[in-house]
Amino acid sequence: MFLDLTEEQKLIQDTARDFAKAELEPVAAALDQSDDRGPLLANLKKLAELGFMGLNVKGDYSGSEAGVVAFSVAMTEIARACASTAVTVSVNNMAAEVIQAVGSEEQRRAYIPKICSGEYPAAGFALTETCAGSDPAGMCSQAVDDGDSWVLNGSKIFITSAPYAGVFVVWAVTDKDAPKGKGISCFLVEAGTPGLIVGKEEKKMGQHASATCELIFADCRIPKSALMGKLNDGFRIAAGELAGGRIGIGSLGLGVGLAAMDYATRYVTERSQFEQKVSNFQAIQWMIADGYTELEAARLLLMNAAYRKESGKSFAKEASMAKMYATEAANKSCYKALQMLGGYGYTRDFPVERYARDARITSIYEGTNEIQRLIISREILRNSS
Amino acid sequence: MKLLVCIKQVPDMESRFKPDAAGTWYSESDLAWRMNEYDEFAVEQAVQLREKLGEGAELTVLSIGPDRVVEAVKKALAMGCDNAVHIQDPAAALKDPWQIASMIAAFAKDRAFDLIFTGMQSQDRGSAQVGVTVAEQLGLACTTTIVGFEYDNGTITTKRELEGGVKGVVKLKTPALVTCQLGLNVPRYPTLPNIMKAKKKEIVAIAAAELLREEPLTTTASFHPPAKKGGGIVLEGEVGSLVDQLIGILKEKTAVLR
Ligand SMILES: Cc1cc2nc3c(=O)[nH]c(=O)nc-3n(C[C@H](O)[C@H](O)[C@H](O)COP(=O)(O)OP(=O)(O)OC[C@H]3O[C@@H](n4cnc5c(N)ncnc54)[C@H](O)[C@@H]3O)c2cc1C
Repeated sequence: MFLDLTEEQKLIQDTARDFAKAELEPVAAALDQSDDRGPLLANLKKLAELGFMGLNVKGDYSGSEAGVVAFSVAMTEIARACASTAVTVSVNNMAAEVIQAVGSEEQRRAYIPKICSGEYPAAGFALTETCAGSDPAGMCSQAVDDGDSWVLNGSKIFITSAPYAGVFVVWAVTDKDAPKGKGISCFLVEAGTPGLIVGKEEKKMGQHASATCELIFADCRIPKSALMGKLNDGFRIAAGELAGGRIGIGSLGLGVGLAAMDYATRYVTERSQFEQKVSNFQAIQWMIADGYTELEAARLLLMNAAYRKESGKSFAKEASMAKMYATEAANKSCYKALQMLGGYGYTRDFPVERYARDARITSIYEGTNEIQRLIISREILRNSS
Repeated sequence: MKLLVCIKQVPDMESRFKPDAAGTWYSESDLAWRMNEYDEFAVEQAVQLREKLGEGAELTVLSIGPDRVVEAVKKALAMGCDNAVHIQDPAAALKDPWQIASMIAAFAKDRAFDLIFTGMQSQDRGSAQVGVTVAEQLGLACTTTIVGFEYDNGTITTKRELEGGVKGVVKLKTPALVTCQLGLNVPRYPTLPNIMKAKKKEIVAIAAAELLREEPLTTTASFHPPAKKGGGIVLEGEVGSLVDQLIGILKEKTAVLR
């Protein structure tokens, strides 16, 4: 058994860490507080130029062909500095991967290089609707066959990067009468298509720099060639691709948790109360031990899921385990870290309150952790009956 | 034109260093390793020249050390070096600068490099001897601590930073060796596709024994953290008496006042 990263994976981790420290960390706090997304978009462009938008995408489509383990460690390093940047990168990778997995050769060549190169600042993954969150098969948006085009009507909610995404992977019902989940198809919709409207942006608790918006389709006409994969096979595609995305979100959570624990651990070795360093108190030492142990367990679960995906093994259960555990470890670590800073942790003069707000969403998006538990237990029960 | 850049892998300088069992160097366990920072500037400058010269130029990166240094070599390849040489030496840390320089010189001797780049010094040993000693052993023109570099048709023009911020300009003709100071350029991040492609570039391995002919000229006798300073002195009393006490101490114990 080999638990170390390869030289290439280490170099990618170092590159991500060096870049994050130099370019992302210095602007993360300001991005959290301001409406100006200029620095975010500039950094996304630089990350694309370095190859971070298609880590697990083939070189033929301008990807880095670096694999899933590299994707995981890169996401963690980026998230250590800026979770908003990290989620954008994660969704971009997911969009590029889904197009690579199910798109036609023409679709791959048309869109993936634009995502990987940064020509598109971002890409969108538009699944969730008001009527379909944890239960995406219950979606209402429709695509109607109108001869040489499809006409989309309906709306999506909570779509990451919507205002600056160049292309959206969109799911819609194509057969109303089919059994649940069997009548949904997947489409590629370019930004700027008439009838595609970016709606209201959510005001969120955290991850402020990453836009989360409504997406409205009002007689949005797209060419016949915009259908991706087989007709009515879209739900299966979504389920498969979300499993990969979960490795990204788990890795992101791990990064935020590590950032919080690292900050708090340094802090307690400097802060004194009762004539001694706060780190002398066993209560604080146990927080350090528990926090880092859980994050280490999260890392190993993530590495396992990433390794399984990379080597072509089944990985849905492992990805759900890793996402669920890592994002809960991240949340707990952020709250421990905040506690370790006392009142200062609650103020904006220190980054820990931002980490705690940023971490909170990770146990919700790309499938709530309740849904992860459902996937995990379903898989286990299926194999034991 | 044949170019060579020599790099060293060093511990992350934020590491906690502990002396090794012999007490003559640091213990290598639990350290994270990376390319010596000065060498990143050397690699960047070499790659920029390599790109400017285009076809017909060849840039080789060389590193001496145990297997782990291959990671730093791969970074240099990903930044744009064409090929690599790994001089395999598990005990490189025990060699003195003279021996390290001799090994590089022995490798370079019959290979007719037109220009060799090195870092000004390593972050861990900091001798600043290796580059200049290689130049001396090979009979090359040499300038050190460069913060500016231009090359035109066999002539190198370098800028050097002198004490107090004064700049000097030094010109030299190839074959030559330059040692690079921090700030010479902006070292690029290796792109991910290039990191993956570097896998396919050749890394020639040469055993240290094939190149090492020299005995050390110096030995490191001890490696240790500074002795713990005693607690500071707390002066007490009226302001006037505090000033007198302070002046007394400065006169007696330091060179600040005479
Ligand atoms: C910042 C942000 C970014 C997002 N980005 C995107 C994006 O880019 N693209 C996209 O398509 N979506 C995105 N989402 C949507 C996100 O994936 C959903 O919010 C999430 O899947 C949950 O759906 P919901 O909000 O409708 O919650 P609901 O499904 O309404 O869930 C409410 C509660 O019920 C629980 N629950 C529901 N069903 C079950 C069950 N069967 N068993 C047990 N508990 C259950 C849930 O766990 C949750 O606790 C984003 C959301 C946010 C907040």
